[in-house]
Amino acid sequence: MTEPKIKFDQVTKRYGPLTVLDALSLDIAPGELVTIIGPSGSGKTTVLRVLMTLETIEEGTIYIDGEPFNMMRSGDRLVPASKAHIRRIRAKIGMVFQSFNLFPHMTALGNCIEAPIHSLGLAKRDAVKRAEELLDMVGLADKRDHYPSQLSGGQQQRVAIARTLAMQPEILLFDEPTSALDPEMVGEVLQVIRQLAAAHSYTMLLVTHQMGFAREVSDRVCFFDGGKFLEEGPPQELLGAPKNERAKQFLSKVLEAT
Amino acid sequence: MDWDWQFTFDVVLPRLLPVVPITIQATVLSFLLALALGLGLMLLRTSSSRLVSIPAGEVIEFIRGTPLLVQLFFLFFLLPEVGIVLPPLTTGILGLGIYNSALCAEVFRAGILAVPAGQWEAAKALNLSAYRTYRDIIIPQSLPPIVPALGNYLIGIFKETPLLSFLAVAELMHASKLIGSEYYRFTEAVTIAGAFFLIMSLVAAGLVRLAEFYVRKRILH
Amino acid sequence: MNARVVAIAALAAFLFGLVVATFSETRVFLPALLQGALVTIQVAVFSFLLMMASAFVAGAGKLSAIGPVRWIAIGYIEIFRGTSLLVQLFWFYFVMPEFGVTLPAMVAGVLGVGLNFGAYGAEIVRGAITAVPRGQLEAATALNMAPFKRLVRIVIPQAAIVMIPPMGNLTIEMVKATSVVSAVTLVDITYASVQQNQIHYRTIEIFMVTLALYYCFSQLIRFSMGMLEERASRHLARGH
Repeated sequence: MTEPKIKFDQVTKRYGPLTVLDALSLDIAPGELVTIIGPSGSGKTTVLRVLMTLETIEEGTIYIDGEPFNMMRSGDRLVPASKAHIRRIRAKIGMVFQSFNLFPHMTALGNCIEAPIHSLGLAKRDAVKRAEELLDMVGLADKRDHYPSQLSGGQQQRVAIARTLAMQPEILLFDEPTSALDPEMVGEVLQVIRQLAAAHSYTMLLVTHQMGFAREVSDRVCFFDGGKFLEEGPPQELLGAPKNERAKQFLSKVLEAT
Repeated sequence: MDWDWQFTFDVVLPRLLPVVPITIQATVLSFLLALALGLGLMLLRTSSSRLVSIPAGEVIEFIRGTPLLVQLFFLFFLLPEVGIVLPPLTTGILGLGIYNSALCAEVFRAGILAVPAGQWEAAKALNLSAYRTYRDIIIPQSLPPIVPALGNYLIGIFKETPLLSFLAVAELMHASKLIGSEYYRFTEAVTIAGAFFLIMSLVAAGLVRLAEFYVRKRILH
Repeated sequence: MNARVVAIAALAAFLFGLVVATFSETRVFLPALLQGALVTIQVAVFSFLLMMASAFVAGAGKLSAIGPVRWIAIGYIEIFRGTSLLVQLFWFYFVMPEFGVTLPAMVAGVLGVGLNFGAYGAEIVRGAITAVPRGQLEAATALNMAPFKRLVRIVIPQAAIVMIPPMGNLTIEMVKATSVVSAVTLVDITYASVQQNQIHYRTIEIFMVTLALYYCFSQLIRFSMGMLEERASRHLARGH
C-alpha cells in the first residue's frame, strides 16, 4: 500500500459556532483525481482552501507525502509548523480559482513567469520558455501579450491554469473552475483539465457541479455535506447509484436541473 | 536638554490657558460662518440658472484652490484700505469662515446628490411641496455622510487657527511663540501648545462621533 | 481631452501674463514674487518626496502583522495629524536646537510639511492597499510567493492606481500649505507678497498675482495626476 499523497487526519475547521469541517479524514493516492460534490455552501471549497493554507484548521493534521503539513516534527512531538516549513511543502501544491484571480496589471505571459522568477528563482529566459510552452498547451500561444481585461472568461481561466502549471506542482486543486463562466466557454476549460487528468502525472482535487465531466475523468467521487464526507466511491457507483440518503436527494435535484 | 516643570507651571500654563478660549471662540464662530455661507454658496451652485451656477462654481474652486494664509493676508491688508477697520480676530474669523464655506458648500452638494433620484421622484409623485420635500425627505437622508465630513472640517479649523498668529491675533501659537522669544526657551511652550491642539482635536472628534450617532438614531432610526 | 486643453490654455495665459507683466507696472514687485515662487517650488518638491516616502512606510506599516511596527506607524500618524502644521514647524526649527539639533530653515520646513502630509497620505495608502481584492492575495499565496514579493509585485502596483486621485488632492493641499513656511524664516511667495505689499501698497494686484500663481500650481498638479491615472489604468478594465 503506497503512501497517500495527501492525507486529511481528523481535520476540523470552525467559524465561530459553525463547524465547517467535522473531523474530516481522507486519503488521496498519488496520481489520483478525486472530485468533491455536494450542496452549495456546504464547505467543499473549504477542503481545498485549508489544503492551500488559505485557511487555518482548529484540529487535526494534514499530511503531504507522509510529512505533516500544518504541523511539523520537533523531536518526537508535533508542533505548529513554521512559515519556512509551510512554504517548502506548499511549493508542491497549486490552485485554480473560481474567479481566476489573474494579475490584471500583467500580460498572460507576465502572469505565467511572475512566480517562477520570483518564487523559484528561475532565470527569465527559462521562465519565458516554460510559460510559452504552457500557454501553447492550453491553446493561447497567440494571446501571450494580451492583458486579462482583453481576454474572455474561458481564456482567462486557461491562462490561470497555465500559470499554476508553470510552478510545476505535484498536486492540483480546482475550485469550481467553470462556475463563473458563460456556458459556451465551459468546454474549453474542461478540455484542458481533461488533458491534465489523462497524463496522470498530477494528483488532482476537483470541486465542481459538472456531473457529466466528473463521471468521465474522476478516479473517485466524494459527496460532502454537513462537514463530512458522507459517501465516496468510483464515479459510476456514486453518481449512478448512490447509497447515502442525502447524496441521493442531492443528485436527483442536480439531475433534475440538467 | 531637560524639561523644566517649574517653568511649565509658573509661566507657560498661566499664559497659555487664558488664550485657549480665544482659539475655541475663533474655531466655533468660523465654523458657523462657514456653514451659513456654505449653504448659500451651495444653493447658488445648484441653481438652475447657468448664469448663477457657473460663476458660483468658479468662485468655490478659486477659494478652495488657493492657500488660506494668502486669503487671510489679503483681507487683513485690503479691508483697512477700503475703509473697513476690524480687529484682527474678526478679520481672522471672516477669513477662516469664507475659506471653509467653499469646502462646506461642496460637502452639502455631495450629500444632496447622494440621495437617490427615486426619492425626488416619489416626493413629486406624492405632490409634496419643495419645502416639504427638502425638509422631510431629502435633508434627513443627506445628513449621514454630511455630518462626519463637516466634523472633519471643524477639526481642520481648529488646526488652522494658528494661522491667525500671522495676523498678530493673540491665540495659542502666538502666545507660545512670545513665551519662547521672551524667555529663550521654546520647548515647553511649543510642546504644551501642541498638546492642547491634540487634546482639542480628540475632544472635537469625540463630539463629531456623538453627532453622527445622534443623527443615525434620531433621524434614521 | 478637455483637461489637456484647459491646462495648455492656462499655461499659455500664464506665460502671456508674465510677458505683459514684464512690460507693465507689475515689474515693480513681480521679480520678488517669482523669487519667492522658487523657494515655494523647492519646499514643495522636497516635501512631496518626503510625504510619499513616509506615507508608504507608515501606511504599509499600519497593516503589518508585527505589533511594534504597527504601534509606531499609528503613533506617527496620530501625532502628526492631530497637531497643527505650525506647531510641528516650530518644533523642528525652534525646539530642536534646545535638544542640541539645529536645523537649517529649509530642512525644518521640508520636515514639517513632508511629515505632516505624509501622515494623511498614510491613510490613503492604507485604504488603497486594503482595496486590492482578496483573490489577488490568494492567487499569490497559491503560487507560493513570499509575502514581501507579493506586496511589492502584486499589491502595490494595483494599489498605486487607486491612490492617484486622493494623493493628487493631498499634493495640492500640501503645496498650498507651504504658504506657512515663513514661520521658519523661509521667504516663499506668500511672505514675499506681504513684504512687497509693505513696500508698494498695491494690495489687490500683488495678492491677485500671488493667488494666481498658487492656482496655476494646483492646476498643473491636477493635470499631471489626470495623465498619470490614465496611463496607469490603461490595461485595467475595472470589474470583470
